[in-house]
Amino acid sequence: MSATVAYVPRRTAVVRAVVLREWREALTNKLLIGMTFLPPLVILAAGIGAVAAAAANPPNERDIQALYAAAPAVRGLDPKEAVQGIIAQYFLILFLMIPTIVPLTIAIYSVIGEKANRTLEPLLATPAGVGDLLIAKSIAAMVPAVLVTWLAYFIYLLAVAKVGSGPAQNAVLSPRWLAAMTLMVPLLTLLSVNLGVLISTRVNDIRVAQQIGGLIVVPVVAIGIAQVTGRVVLDDAPILATSVGLFVLDAALIAVARVLFQRENILVRWR
Amino acid sequence: MLRAEKLTKRFEKLTAVDALDLEVREGEVFGFLGPNGAGKTTTIRLLSALIAPTSGTAEIAGFRLGRDDASIRAAVGVLTEHPGLYERLSAHDNLDFYARLYGLPDGLRVARVEHFLRLMGLWDRRHDPIATYSRGMKQKVAIARAALHEPKIIFLDEPTTGLDPDAAKTVRDLILALRAEGRTVFLCTHNLDEADRLCDRIALFRRRTVRVDTPTNLRREVYGAWTEIRLREARPEHLRRVQAVEGVRNASLFDSTLRVDLDDPLRTNPKVIRALVEVGADVAFVTEGKPSLEDVYLQIMEQQS
Repeated sequence: MSATVAYVPRRTAVVRAVVLREWREALTNKLLIGMTFLPPLVILAAGIGAVAAAAANPPNERDIQALYAAAPAVRGLDPKEAVQGIIAQYFLILFLMIPTIVPLTIAIYSVIGEKANRTLEPLLATPAGVGDLLIAKSIAAMVPAVLVTWLAYFIYLLAVAKVGSGPAQNAVLSPRWLAAMTLMVPLLTLLSVNLGVLISTRVNDIRVAQQIGGLIVVPVVAIGIAQVTGRVVLDDAPILATSVGLFVLDAALIAVARVLFQRENILVRWR
Repeated sequence: MLRAEKLTKRFEKLTAVDALDLEVREGEVFGFLGPNGAGKTTTIRLLSALIAPTSGTAEIAGFRLGRDDASIRAAVGVLTEHPGLYERLSAHDNLDFYARLYGLPDGLRVARVEHFLRLMGLWDRRHDPIATYSRGMKQKVAIARAALHEPKIIFLDEPTTGLDPDAAKTVRDLILALRAEGRTVFLCTHNLDEADRLCDRIALFRRRTVRVDTPTNLRREVYGAWTEIRLREARPEHLRRVQAVEGVRNASLFDSTLRVDLDDPLRTNPKVIRALVEVGADVAFVTEGKPSLEDVYLQIMEQQS
């Protein structure tokens, strides 16, 4: 029996096709679009509102003393400007919630959507590699999440430049913000995507998957609380250390996702 | 075109496919019949390199299972039990997406997508979301997806289940058109009438192959050959005369119809008719006895169990 000549897709073509198909589908899903843009909008509005409110309402003497106690570095600055700077700095942690919530939702919709519509088997019946499909799904969820976070940051920068003080502007342009945006945002997004994929392999209900995946926000919130209470200072070094930790965690989750994302596993074990 | 030897698939304690031996010839419509839970879908998944066998080997379109899996997936088309289409996308976008995954060159991709949309009568609605399509229309798109990359073998798992008669006929016509193009069609179905009409050969299957043959040979094997002769007015001497004809194994009379069991209808039928005419019988109709494939299937499966 002689072998048949068959077309073989290029890996880049497969990834591109899947990414574009995912986005095309996502753009028709109003709920998903809403859930992609709502968290950044809320955080952005809260961030800008807080800086604007601090600019409009000067702190009283007691607040100033509490501020100097919590952040000795701002001692000597104009209290109103210092408060804005502190607020602008603290909002970094809230901005880091965007790359945890948004890609998780997109990844969950992507995988559970495929399971619900039973589109996985025809997809797996093609010569496309499962690794390429996983990469494509990750890219499709990561790119919008990172872009939305960066867009929100850019808008925040412009707003702080407009309504905020010099220390506030310095805070959002500080190395810790820039390192967080360039390092932590992609790493957190990847973590969230992989977590979304892993949860979706075991769960068939989007809301249940979101509730389980929502737990990823807990460490971020905990760091935020620790920061506000003065127990943690999100400085350059912790951000870099966290980035390294996230990188290791990402690598581990990618390895687990690759094991679960095998043709036979998907067809036989995924429920 | 397809050969499996001792192909086995176990899921922990369950043996879904047990030492399957099978040979499917190029250009034939091969029916794969079996009860629910017999392992038909698992067999399709094995032969389309979606899951790995526990043991045994297979060669599909010239490629070795387990060694050339990506090439096998490129060379075969699979219609799964459910259409599995992207409901928010149009038929055009669904087919275009799969054409890209199968690596069709740009010009050919556009041409094949258009060809199948027109063939399926979906060209005018090509930009409508799949969610607005009927079950039959979705099935047509799913079949187009399976045939889009011109596979040598197409696996069809229950292609007409849930379709109205018009849509089912369209699907059956398409299967015949695929055969006319020289493609091999591996058809899993519960619709025995459909299998009878479409299939060149049939495999009866329950975890392993029970029997493989043409529908005609299976009938003859199980029920033998018989002829039904309707007389204007039947009398006992007509029956006795027919029973005495050389080559007649058995004959019986129901109302005015004689059922004549025989080994070689081509040689014996003329003798039977002559004998009846000689004793003054008025022969109204002569028809070849043909049990339904369902009867054959049930009989063989019952023997097996």
